[in-house]
Amino acid sequence: MEPPNLYPVKLYVYDLSKGLARRLSPIMLGKQLEGIWHTSIVVHKDEFFFGSGGISSCPPGGTLLGPPDSVVDVGSTEVTEELFLEYLSSLGESLFRSVLQTFLTMYRSEAYNLFEHNCNTFTNEVAQFLTGRKIPSYITDLPSEILSTPFGQALRPLLDSIQIQPPGGSAVGRPNGQS
Amino acid sequence: MPHVISRTPRMAQSGHPSGLPTDRNIPPSVTRVIVKTAGKQEEFMIADNILVSQFKEKLSAHFKCQMDQLVLVFMGRLLKDHDTLGQRGILDGHTIHLVIKSKHRSRSLAHSSQNLLTKDPCHRDRNTKGNNNGVYQPADVSHTPVESALPMDPDVPKVQTQDLEMDSPECIEQMLQNPSIQQLLSNLGLMRQFISEHPDMQQWMQQNPEVSHLLENSEILRQTLELARNLAMIQEIMQIEQPEQTIEHPLSPQSYSDLETMPGGDNALDQSSADCNNHMLNSLQDPFGGNPFTALLGGHVLEPAQSSPPSPPQPQKRQDQLPQLPTTRVIYTSSRGLSSNTSANVDPNKVSHTSSASTTAISTEGWSHNCAIQQPDGVPALPSIELTQQPQGEDKDTTISLNSSDQKLEGDPQLSDEQTSSQITGSMMQLLLNNPYLAAQMMLFITMPQLSEQCRQQLPTFLQQTELSDTLLALANPRASQAILQIEQGLQLLATEAPVLLPWVAPYLWGLGWLPSPSCS
Repeated sequence: MEPPNLYPVKLYVYDLSKGLARRLSPIMLGKQLEGIWHTSIVVHKDEFFFGSGGISSCPPGGTLLGPPDSVVDVGSTEVTEELFLEYLSSLGESLFRSVLQTFLTMYRSEAYNLFEHNCNTFTNEVAQFLTGRKIPSYITDLPSEILSTPFGQALRPLLDSIQIQPPGGSAVGRPNGQS
Repeated sequence: MPHVISRTPRMAQSGHPSGLPTDRNIPPSVTRVIVKTAGKQEEFMIADNILVSQFKEKLSAHFKCQMDQLVLVFMGRLLKDHDTLGQRGILDGHTIHLVIKSKHRSRSLAHSSQNLLTKDPCHRDRNTKGNNNGVYQPADVSHTPVESALPMDPDVPKVQTQDLEMDSPECIEQMLQNPSIQQLLSNLGLMRQFISEHPDMQQWMQQNPEVSHLLENSEILRQTLELARNLAMIQEIMQIEQPEQTIEHPLSPQSYSDLETMPGGDNALDQSSADCNNHMLNSLQDPFGGNPFTALLGGHVLEPAQSSPPSPPQPQKRQDQLPQLPTTRVIYTSSRGLSSNTSANVDPNKVSHTSSASTTAISTEGWSHNCAIQQPDGVPALPSIELTQQPQGEDKDTTISLNSSDQKLEGDPQLSDEQTSSQITGSMMQLLLNNPYLAAQMMLFITMPQLSEQCRQQLPTFLQQTELSDTLLALANPRASQAILQIEQGLQLLATEAPVLLPWVAPYLWGLGWLPSPSCS
C-alpha cells in the first residue's frame, strides 16, 4: 500500500482592521480585541475563503488583503485537490443536493452573515474536514466577543449588513451552481 | 482499545457538534458516529469493527448513491475500504466527513470512447482538476479542440467539437487498446453510421458526392483504410519502381507517361502545394526530369515506406514492396486519372468495381479519385487520401487488376498524378489536421499493432497541432511542405548511407513513421 500523499493545510489569518482594532477596541468596545480576523484555508497551493460572494479561491495571498498577518498550521490532509473541490462544490450548493434540508444551506453567498456565518465559520468547517482539527478559538470567538459588548449590541444591525468579500478571488462551485 | 472505550460510557465530548452523553444502553461494540456531509450531518450506529466498505454500503443506501461515489474523510485521512473504523481511531461520537462525488464529473472511458468515435479524440491535456484559480470546471466542458468544421474551410479552424474527455494521448491509447472498443470500431456498419451521421461528414458528403459513394461501399472503406496505411508503402513502391524500371509491369510505361504529363498538367492545378506536387512528380520521374527536387521527392516517397502489414515495418522494405507494386500503380494511375481536373465526378465505384483483384488498390483508386476531384478544393481531397493512409491489417495481397486501372488511366486526361500523390503525402497531414476525428476513426481500423501504435502516437501530436491555425497555414505553405519533404529525404538518405546514425535522429523518425515509437501506454 503506497503511502498516502499528505498535503499541508494552513490557515491564513488576516486582520481586516489592519491594527486599528487593537488600538481602538479598548475604547470603543471596552475590551481588547487583537484584530478583526478574516481567515482562509490554504491547501493544494490555493487559498479558499468564504465571503459575501460565496466560496472563492485564489493563489495564496492573492486577495486584495495581501499577505496574511499570521499563518497557522492546521495539519495535513490526504484529501486530494479534486476531492476537495468536490467537497467545496457541495458545500456551496448544498441546497440542491440536500433532500432533508429545507432551509438554505451553509455556504451560498446569501448565507453570509458577518457574525454568525462568516469566513471563519467556513474556514473552521473546512479545516475540520481536511484535518479533523479546528482553527484557533480566538478567531471563532470573535463574533461572540463583539456581541457581548454593549457597543457591539448597539451596532449589531449595522454590522449585520456588512458583507466582507476580499477581492481577488474567483468563485468555486459547480458551473450551474451558485458562487 | 476501541472496544474498551466504547464500553465505557462517555459524557459530553467537547468539540463534537453532537456532544450528547453516550447512552449507557448502547451495546458495547456499537459506536455512534456522526457523518457530516455537504452541510448536513447524521448519526449512525454501527459496530466498532465494521469495515469501511461495509459502512459505505450503509451510507450508499442511505444517501441513495453508489458506493464508489462515497469518500470518507476522518481527521484529514481518507478512509480506505479495507480498514475498520476502529483501526482508524474512529471512536464514539467522532465525526466522519463524507463527500459524495458527482457522477457526471468523472471521466469515464466509456463515455469518452463514444465521444472519440465522433469527435476529436485528442487535444490539449486538461485535467479534471480545476485550474489554479480554483475555478471548478467539469472535465467534460473544459475541452474545446480546434478543428475546422468543414474541409472546405481549411484556413479557418473552427472549434466546434463537443466535449471530449479524451484529452491526452494516453487516454486515447488506453481507449483504443480496449478490445471491446476495437471490436466496436471494427464493426464497419457501425463505423459507417458514425461517419455518415457526423454533421461535418455530412456536409462534406454533400459537397463531394463521391464520398458518399465511397462510404456506402464497405469494401472501399476497408480497402481505403488499408491503403491509407499502405500509402507509405505505395510511395516506396513508386520509388522502387523508378530505379527498377518495371517495364514488365503493364502499367509502368503508362504510369510514367502519365507522370510525364505531370509537369504540364501541374500548372493546371492551382494549388498552394502545386510546387510540392511538382517536386513529387519530378522525383517519380527521375529518369525523365532533371528537377533538383527529384531526389527530395523521391526520398519523400520512400520515407513513409512501411511494409505491408504482415511484415514488420522496416526501412528496407523494398523487397517487400514488390507485391505492392500493383497497388501503387493502380493508386497512382487512378489518381492521375482523377487528378485530371475533369471535374467530372469519376465514380469511384466504377473504378473499384472494375478491379477484380485485391480491393486494396480499388479503394485507393476510389479514394484517390476523390482526391483528384477535390483537388481544387484542396482540403476535401485530403480526407480520402488520409483514409488511404491509415494502416490496415486486412487484405494485404495487392494484386491489382491492372486492366481496370488501365482503362481508367486511358480514359482520363492525365494531369497531376503527381499532384495527387503529393497531395496524398503533403496534404494528408493537412487533412488529418482538418478532420482529426476522421483520422481517429480511421485509426481505429488499424489492425497492425506497430503501425497503429505509431499512428496513434503521431495522431495526438497532429491533433494538438490542429489547434494552431498557424500550423495549418504553415502546412499550406508549399515551401514548408518542401521543407518537410527535404527532411524526409535527408532521413532516407541517412538510412541508406549510414544507418548507424539513425538513432541520433530517432525522434524525427518516430514522427515520420520510420521507427516504432516507444510504447507510451
